[in-house]
Amino acid sequence: MKNIYYIYAMENIKLKIARIEKSLSQQELADLVKATRQTIGLIEKGKYNPTLSLCVRIARALNKTLNDLFWDED
Amino acid sequence: MDERNKLIAYKVIAFMYFITLLALIGVTLVRQFVQKQEVSEFEDIAIIVTINTLFLISGLLYFGAIPIQKLKIKTILLGYGLLVVSGSLFTYAKYNIFLKLGLSFKQLLDKMIIIITVSGIIVLFFVFFSFLGIRRIKKELKE
Repeated sequence: MKNIYYIYAMENIKLKIARIEKSLSQQELADLVKATRQTIGLIEKGKYNPTLSLCVRIARALNKTLNDLFWDED
Repeated sequence: MDERNKLIAYKVIAFMYFITLLALIGVTLVRQFVQKQEVSEFEDIAIIVTINTLFLISGLLYFGAIPIQKLKIKTILLGYGLLVVSGSLFTYAKYNIFLKLGLSFKQLLDKMIIIITVSGIIVLFFVFFSFLGIRRIKKELKE
């Protein structure tokens, strides 16, 4: 059963790994998705809950799906 | 502007607007009851506060911050009743307690008619914006 991965409560390690795999710094990813480095950092730490449109932009920039980055399966 | 920065800006601006509105209400009350000024001396502030409050609530109704669909006749009548009661208490306190002018029963009744009418107009104003809000949502859902 799928559980929602509450990125505002827990660190988003999947996002961090996906970003590093693409050899992107937080700033570079931020520039790609039209956000700030701080926002990317806070998303990775689980301290900011991004809008769906930002999630989609991040997923596209990292060539991943929303499931890969923001969903957790049991 | 990054979405998070926008969100923070909106929250700060909304909070400061609300604080300013409360402060203006406080200033109006102090001028009226503590400093005992004539209404003409602070009516500009009172007008700003009144218009702001009316449009704040109307905006909340129109854009759905107050769930319009849950507004029922009973709620509207309750709101109207609360407005009439609070207006009456305020008028009684203003003339008989704070300003000690003492009004006759007939004079109080005349003021009650104004309160009932103005409260009705305010409630109709809010109902109108609620109706516009419902229409807007229905239109958005159709598109």
